[in-house]
Amino acid sequence: MADLQSRLDEFKKAFESGAPPYNATQEAIETMHRATAELEAPGLANKALRVGDRAPQFRLFNQDHVEVDSADLLRQGPVVVSFFRGHW
Amino acid sequence: MELEALQGIDSEVKDLGAQIVVLTPELERYTRALHKKLNVTFDILTDLHLKIAEQFRLLYVLPDYLRELYTSVGNALDRFHDEPEFRLPMPARYVIDKRGIIRAAAVSADYTIRPEPSDTLNVLRALKTKARQVA
Repeated sequence: MADLQSRLDEFKKAFESGAPPYNATQEAIETMHRATAELEAPGLANKALRVGDRAPQFRLFNQDHVEVDSADLLRQGPVVVSFFRGHW
Repeated sequence: MELEALQGIDSEVKDLGAQIVVLTPELERYTRALHKKLNVTFDILTDLHLKIAEQFRLLYVLPDYLRELYTSVGNALDRFHDEPEFRLPMPARYVIDKRGIIRAAAVSADYTIRPEPSDTLNVLRALKTKARQVA
């Protein structure tokens, strides 16, 4: 299997070609590029927590409505936390 | 794609004594469906109203013109997230050690760029080696 970044690059290329199944219009693609550029401009990513910072604790419900406490997870070992904006 | 990539390393992550959790602003009825559909072996947690993403300082507000674009192609963020302000987390992957300290941080405003899962595994391997040396 190709690595994640090359699969993302392929998807981006397919999407931006305007071909099916995405049929993205040139206008839509330009709008998305503009948004990405604007997001990068203010250095938003630089404001996020970084290496050496203490991670905030959380207690959140999982897909089965079971509450998960980050303190319980950390007692067992390191935790990989991935922020995902959604399935869409 | 991020979730599929994480699934690809999940058994190795567990072998290294670590766990993966995914945080999303999506409501539980959507995380349940997604978890089932992708058949992943880690938890997908609902970060309701992006409270935790905010503490990690990952929030941004979707610009008006992008809202219109997404709405026009049928995305309804306010429905998925109960989030009328159209805020989103920047894509990010963190590794947190047992003491709660961040040991790796990959944050990108461009959601088409993601860190490789193998980088995450390397961080966990290094943490394990260090833990053994201390013990």
